[in-house]
Amino acid sequence: MNRNAWTLRAGSLLLAAVLLLAWEAACRALRLPVLVLPPPSAIAISLWQGLASGYFWPHLRTTALELLLGVVSGSALGFLAGIALGESATTRRLLMPYFVASQVVPKLALGPLFVLWFGFGVTSTVVITALICFFPLMENTLTALQQVAPERLELFRMLGATRRQTLWRLKLPSGAPAILAGLRVAVVLALVGAVVGEFIGATRGLGALVIATQGTMDTARMFAVLVLIAALGMVAYQATLLLERWLLLPFTRNS
Amino acid sequence: MPLLSLQQVRFAFPGWPLTVDGADLEVEQGSFHCLVGRSGCGKTTLLKLAAGLLQPQSGRVVFHGQARDIGFVFQSPNLLEWQRVIDNVLLPATLHHRATEQERQRAQKLLEQLGLGAHAAKYPRQLSGGQQSRVALARALLLQPSLLLLDEPFAALDAITREELQRDLLATCRRSGTTVLFVTHDIAEAVYLADRVDVVEDGRIAQEIAITLPGRSAAVRYDPAFVRFCAQVRAALHLEAVAA
Repeated sequence: MNRNAWTLRAGSLLLAAVLLLAWEAACRALRLPVLVLPPPSAIAISLWQGLASGYFWPHLRTTALELLLGVVSGSALGFLAGIALGESATTRRLLMPYFVASQVVPKLALGPLFVLWFGFGVTSTVVITALICFFPLMENTLTALQQVAPERLELFRMLGATRRQTLWRLKLPSGAPAILAGLRVAVVLALVGAVVGEFIGATRGLGALVIATQGTMDTARMFAVLVLIAALGMVAYQATLLLERWLLLPFTRNS
Repeated sequence: MPLLSLQQVRFAFPGWPLTVDGADLEVEQGSFHCLVGRSGCGKTTLLKLAAGLLQPQSGRVVFHGQARDIGFVFQSPNLLEWQRVIDNVLLPATLHHRATEQERQRAQKLLEQLGLGAHAAKYPRQLSGGQQSRVALARALLLQPSLLLLDEPFAALDAITREELQRDLLATCRRSGTTVLFVTHDIAEAVYLADRVDVVEDGRIAQEIAITLPGRSAAVRYDPAFVRFCAQVRAALHLEAVAA
């Protein structure tokens, strides 16, 4: 990283420090009630206590697990559906309206139904998360498969490639950047799905914890949980970026 | 018996008038044919009919060779950017089976013949346009096709690179005895490369001109015979009438 990049990063951290200090000062000077807006120091203490006592960990693990299971299953299904729709015009015409219909219904509105079907707990939330991940992967895979340059398809026909060979050796590799962009969108949406899913149908997880802190009016702890959710989201996003960078190495490396 | 013959071939894209309208063409084993014509005259469509990429609505395309015995070079190099140069050249083989040691050696040798021996492990994005065209040519020649079809492969290159590639294409095809059908709109290119220039007009072969030049060195481009043949092709394309 060059010097300019370091300066910018330092500037970014400095900005965060200034904002937190201003927040702290405002809370003290204006004597805001802790119930409405706790100062950063109180949030930090609550966060530390929750982590040190081990109170937060099971909830964090549950949400992380739901996120992982939801993203993996939803993305895998979306990817496969994208291939099925991209490869067959008949399937596309037959099933596309149903896929779209299933997506325009707000998934979170289906939460109570899933609780009825799958009970309180991990399963309902995973189903909601998976449903949310499904669509970006399906759409991006479908589009990627249909946007292969006609000249390349002719090349593969000229070389006597079968449909399956064309799919594996041409369409999927050339569509990889678009498909992985879909995955990135899916991961971000999935965290929203997991947390809000927990609002409705779970007693464990960071979403459930937010509701619990609301009940006990412990606003500082609520903020601490929001910090954890943000951290989990950043980690998940960075992990997706790393995966993407690794999978796209043939497109970028120069040795 | 010609290696490839087109007999009264007709073809139209859906909703359009005939692009190819009664074309007759015979390509003898070992010959080098150039199809020359204005934009939209149907020469690329003719080439795709010859390749079997398009099916004629009437008439016959007869190729006396085995399946996959045709190499095709497209207008753009059309390389797979996520594969290394050597893997791009090996594509016609690896698509169907694991590349044999013999095929690997042949791919490397083709790259060396085309001056790219040191670039085998690079990616296409690291090569210049001319180098990419060479890789595309090597790929088309990997399986030693008896017929090589080229669709304006050098049109996007600068004049110097184009001349080098013409020289190398000619040398490579001579060495292997490959029969060539080459589409171009560049008259000098056609006269330099071909032993038969087929002038395409309104979807059929309007005239076939046999080219007999004293050798194919770079100097032949200044030979009076070369100039005469160019004038003949220009006349067949009605260019002289416009100039007058």
